[in-house]
Amino acid sequence: MPSIVPALEWLEGLAWTTAIRESAWGYPILETAHVAGIVAFAGLVIMMDLRLVGLAFTYAPMTQIQRRLFPWQMVGLAASTATGLLLCCIDPLRYYRNVFFWVKLVLFTLAGLNALAFHLKTYRMAERWDEDPHVAATARRAGAVSLVLWSATIISGRLIAYNWFG
Amino acid sequence: MLPFFEWCDGLAMSQAYRESLYLFALTQCLHLVAVTTFVGAIAIVDLRLLGWGPVRQSRAELARSAQRILLWAGLAVLVTGIPQFTANALSSYSRSPVFAFKMALLAVALVFTATVRRWVTLADERRLPSWVPRAVGAVSLALWMGVTIGGRMITFYG
Repeated sequence: MPSIVPALEWLEGLAWTTAIRESAWGYPILETAHVAGIVAFAGLVIMMDLRLVGLAFTYAPMTQIQRRLFPWQMVGLAASTATGLLLCCIDPLRYYRNVFFWVKLVLFTLAGLNALAFHLKTYRMAERWDEDPHVAATARRAGAVSLVLWSATIISGRLIAYNWFG
Repeated sequence: MLPFFEWCDGLAMSQAYRESLYLFALTQCLHLVAVTTFVGAIAIVDLRLLGWGPVRQSRAELARSAQRILLWAGLAVLVTGIPQFTANALSSYSRSPVFAFKMALLAVALVFTATVRRWVTLADERRLPSWVPRAVGAVSLALWMGVTIGGRMITFYG
């Protein structure tokens, strides 16, 4: 199987990735914007999840909370994804060799699939239990799974700073 | 302040944090999850104040529901923040301008949230001109995002 390493070395050697990596402000600004985007995105996702599991905002219709928060969740997701991709570009080999980076990507994918499944299936049937403080069991489960997966994604992302198994 | 920093530094907890390879990192992780939850509970009400959040619930109802999350998440932020501070109080935080800035901003944000923001969220919605909740929501969001950003910057410009 051909290795991806030469491609990553090429990416790392480009003039613009080198310039950002070596500048005093490039990495701190990207990293801080990445965290700000995550906090906005995941913070609002967690609010929706807490509604789903019945721990908060139980007197607001579930779909209304979700519809009004969705654009802001997407703003946070767009900001954190764009900055995250840039962070990968400026130091690709560091992440390639970091086990937490791969764990985070897997968890991120699983959390995304859970959200997608919720939107395509459970959410469509929301009318029946929308106003109910206790939503359908499948929706409660989706909320609980989302809480666990997004928290785990954040934790593994934070651990990328440590190279314990590198 | 020096005696206080020295006292923090000498605590058994601080020593345990400095000696353990994993304790500090795991505390940072939980701190970040707690901060995310806290900011989420702030943001849902601020968006409502700005007129962009959930509108079928009144501002007061939404704020009351968010308050419980704020208290629990705030407690978790504090519990996970204190050992991080005491372990490095003397060696780095005592001379970190970014940390001092974050703490000052945190104090402003806390006072603002417990006073002005609280009055406005609980006030009769028909009696306030519409720019008041909007301004309060914008200031609150800016303050708390500022604290979050300040916290992240400590590592870089300690």
